[in-house]
Amino acid sequence: MASGSLPAGIKWWSGGKSPYNVNYGKIMMWYFLVSDSFTFGAFLISYGSTRLGSDYWPDPNHVFNSFPFMGHANLPLAFVSLMTFILIFSSVTMVLAVHEGHKMNRKGVEKYMIMTIIGGLAFLSCQAWEWTHLLTGSHSVLVDGKVEHWATTITKNPFGPMVEHAGQLVATPGPQLFGGFFFFITGFHGFHVFSGLIINIIMYIKTRLGHFDQRGHYEMVEKAGLYWHFVDLVWVFVFLAFYLI
Amino acid sequence: MSSVASLHESELQHAGHDAQHEHHQQSFLTKYIFSQDHKTIAKQFLITGIIWAIVGALFSVLFRLQLGFPESSFPILEDILGKWAPGGKISPDFYYALVTMHGTILVFFVLTAGLSGTFANFLIPLQIGARDMASPFLNMLSYWFFFIGSIIMATSLFIQTGPASGGWTIYPPLSALSDAALGSVRGMDLWIISMAFFIISQLMGGLNYVSTVLNLRTKGMTMTRMPLTVWSLFFTAILGILSFPVLLSCVVLLFCDRNLGTSFYLSDIIIAGKVLPHEGGSPILFQHLFWFLGHPEVYIVVLPAMGLASEVISVNARKPIFGYVAMISSMLAIVALSLIVWAHHMFVSGMNPFLGAGFILFTLLIAVPSAIKVFNWLTTLWRGNIRFTPAMLFAIGFVSMFISGGLTGIFLGNAALDIQLHDTYFNIAHFHLVMGVAAFFSMFAGLYQWFPKMFGRFMNNTLGYIHFWITMVGAYLIFWPMHYSGLAGMPRRYYDYSNWESFKQFGGMNKFISIVVIIVFITQLMFVFNFFYSIWKGRKVREANPWDATTLEWTTPIRPGHGNWPGELPEVHRWPYDYSKDGKEFISQITPVGEEETGPHH
Amino acid sequence: MSSFEVPSQITIHHEPAPNTKRIWRAFWILSVVTLGELALGLSIYNIHKGPNPSEMMVLFFKGVICILTLAKGYYIAWVFMHMGDESKLFRRSIVVPLLLFIWFIIAFLHDGNAYREARDSNAGEFKVIKNDVPAAVLERGQKD
Repeated sequence: MASGSLPAGIKWWSGGKSPYNVNYGKIMMWYFLVSDSFTFGAFLISYGSTRLGSDYWPDPNHVFNSFPFMGHANLPLAFVSLMTFILIFSSVTMVLAVHEGHKMNRKGVEKYMIMTIIGGLAFLSCQAWEWTHLLTGSHSVLVDGKVEHWATTITKNPFGPMVEHAGQLVATPGPQLFGGFFFFITGFHGFHVFSGLIINIIMYIKTRLGHFDQRGHYEMVEKAGLYWHFVDLVWVFVFLAFYLI
Repeated sequence: MSSVASLHESELQHAGHDAQHEHHQQSFLTKYIFSQDHKTIAKQFLITGIIWAIVGALFSVLFRLQLGFPESSFPILEDILGKWAPGGKISPDFYYALVTMHGTILVFFVLTAGLSGTFANFLIPLQIGARDMASPFLNMLSYWFFFIGSIIMATSLFIQTGPASGGWTIYPPLSALSDAALGSVRGMDLWIISMAFFIISQLMGGLNYVSTVLNLRTKGMTMTRMPLTVWSLFFTAILGILSFPVLLSCVVLLFCDRNLGTSFYLSDIIIAGKVLPHEGGSPILFQHLFWFLGHPEVYIVVLPAMGLASEVISVNARKPIFGYVAMISSMLAIVALSLIVWAHHMFVSGMNPFLGAGFILFTLLIAVPSAIKVFNWLTTLWRGNIRFTPAMLFAIGFVSMFISGGLTGIFLGNAALDIQLHDTYFNIAHFHLVMGVAAFFSMFAGLYQWFPKMFGRFMNNTLGYIHFWITMVGAYLIFWPMHYSGLAGMPRRYYDYSNWESFKQFGGMNKFISIVVIIVFITQLMFVFNFFYSIWKGRKVREANPWDATTLEWTTPIRPGHGNWPGELPEVHRWPYDYSKDGKEFISQITPVGEEETGPHH
Repeated sequence: MSSFEVPSQITIHHEPAPNTKRIWRAFWILSVVTLGELALGLSIYNIHKGPNPSEMMVLFFKGVICILTLAKGYYIAWVFMHMGDESKLFRRSIVVPLLLFIWFIIAFLHDGNAYREARDSNAGEFKVIKNDVPAAVLERGQKD
């Protein structure tokens, strides 16, 4: 770990300088992220509260068990792990871009920014596939004595408790809010990924145009990086809340 | 690690040089409308806040007419309000809309944006010796997001089904179902959208205030040399950053429930004989989320008020503030506690009682830092050489209101008492005194005190005294009797009490309160007149430091330009409360500590 | 639109981090931890499928997963976001407010749980209302 302490001998809080040796823009970005973590935190905690407040909650392994082009194979957690790795990897390329920025190496920043942008696009595409799969999939549900075929939407959930019907095990309607919270929170996270992507594209263009070389530092890339890592950080917790536990 | 750059000073000088030359290039649009000067933005917040305050107070006059004179009708109301007051009598739907809007407008738009928006923008850079906010551009956006939110909220007043009418706390299911009330049809959506803009505005403002206070203090301005106003606004910004995002989550989920058919807050509802498909949500979840913001919001309102009052009291008592460090640490304690006590607003809503016990404990702890502050103000006044300017009177009034309202808070913090008192007028009296009237008093104190700095003119003193005495006496006449009717069980939120045998005895009292409300409202209009009249016609300020104060804002020119100080930024050598020291009236913060000066040197 | 320069607030410039080894190390740690979480997640799945799902075992695994996730969060913030390179007070100013989450989570989850218990103890009454709306209620609705 790098040393995290400022050199002694300077009166850091005496005014006329930043007490943290950090520019205001980065301070604002960090505190914005603290603030935003409360937005996400409120969503996830509401989800937890609702889940504990419900008599039955579907096992995520039953809901998220498919993989593109694998048909009906039962592969719990596989696809979402792929998504997690994509996002972590794009975080790595982002931090490498910031690193190249410190060295004022424009070509390096460009290369890694492109890789980050591709990572973001890949993640969003995966999410699009997953949403489509849930919204168009069809599962048998026993509703009022009849078997219907439901997809998972914000108001319908075909993963309720199993009952026996005509000699077969059939699911009953599950808690509506499973879909509500899932689509809402992953959607809100996806929106963050999307806006991070836009920011990254702008940073890439500005790098290409040499704006940061003129300015003499790549701090903007660093701030965009902070946002991007935050999106990754949030995903770690979304992954935890929706898929793992 | 590399070398220490001595770049800093030269850059500061360079900045001062720029500031002198920038006056020529501004058009009307960049100088007054899309201004990035923190002083202009402060005035924009202030004037928008004043407009909202008039609207919000007018609404209270309207519903007080109904409460005070339930049997009478006022034909003029029908002429103005049309279908909302058929036959000159305010309709029940409109009554609830008025109460809701009164709360929303005053809590959010006036006492949050109008109070801390004005004074944080105005005072932080001036009192810490900065040329402007850390990011003047975001600061400008902060105002304009507030403006957009204001416009949307104002629009909701004019739509056919009327503005939101579920109370300012917009509890679902009332607010979530458009069949439940007229105000829940479209007014509620506009409320939510407006509030989203407002939250973004607060966030941008708050981030700016925090990073400005941290990074842009001038040389020598250590954290413990900042005036208490800056401390209080700093803490307010922190509270806003931590709690407003939760309100955003809260209302966005409500928006989904309203418009997308989710059921985050809804379960098992029959409306108009129809069973709704919503299932599984919990309205108590909404209350938790709402009050997670809602309680810190109370302190977002009252902390700046405390800071302003501290400063005004110290300056006008010609004494150092008593217990400067205790003041700061008690504010810090209030910030920390206010974030963990939210559910004391929910003792009657069916929350788990075991959990409630924890919340009672934390809530009652707040009494400690609050009492420390009160005693510090009183000790500052003690044997002071007090100048009874209008600002000082309002600051003392603030202390009085804060004590009167705060004491009843100890009653309400206990669940056992709160269950009896929560839904009565006792509670109304409590929170109006402690956060409504008290915060307004401090805002007035701040305005009378810093008006000369804002506009280079004084406000009229005589009108100021009249304003103070009528408001002070009026506020107590309005809210004191409510304690008694509340203890007697008179419930909140009723449209007409004359239908109940048990509340008829309060008819006379209600009438009395309503009459006082009208008188106090007219007095506030007089203040508004004084304010605008004085901007153009008030007595001119002739000296840079009319109040003989020590803080940095009085070392600027009488009407500072963008950049605040021509030339270099001042350097600070002492704390801001050196009054009546060593036989001197006051010693400005920029005066170096003399050799013969007695200690302690802060 | 003119404005003056906001003075540079950085007193000391850090030298750029010497190499990227730290970043890749963090990446491998994150990957391994994620794989560990997956393994635990799948064992929860298998416990659920098994004949006698043990509640305690599931809870234990879930607890371990939560701790692993916090560890991942630490590496992302400290290495990727360079929080480890910031000054101690700055780090604290970010981490201390986040401690609020402890009470936030405890209170909300506790109350969610209490809500279920309160409702289930009155479950019978709720069923009556949902399946069989009293005639009086329906009538009043039609009149409105």
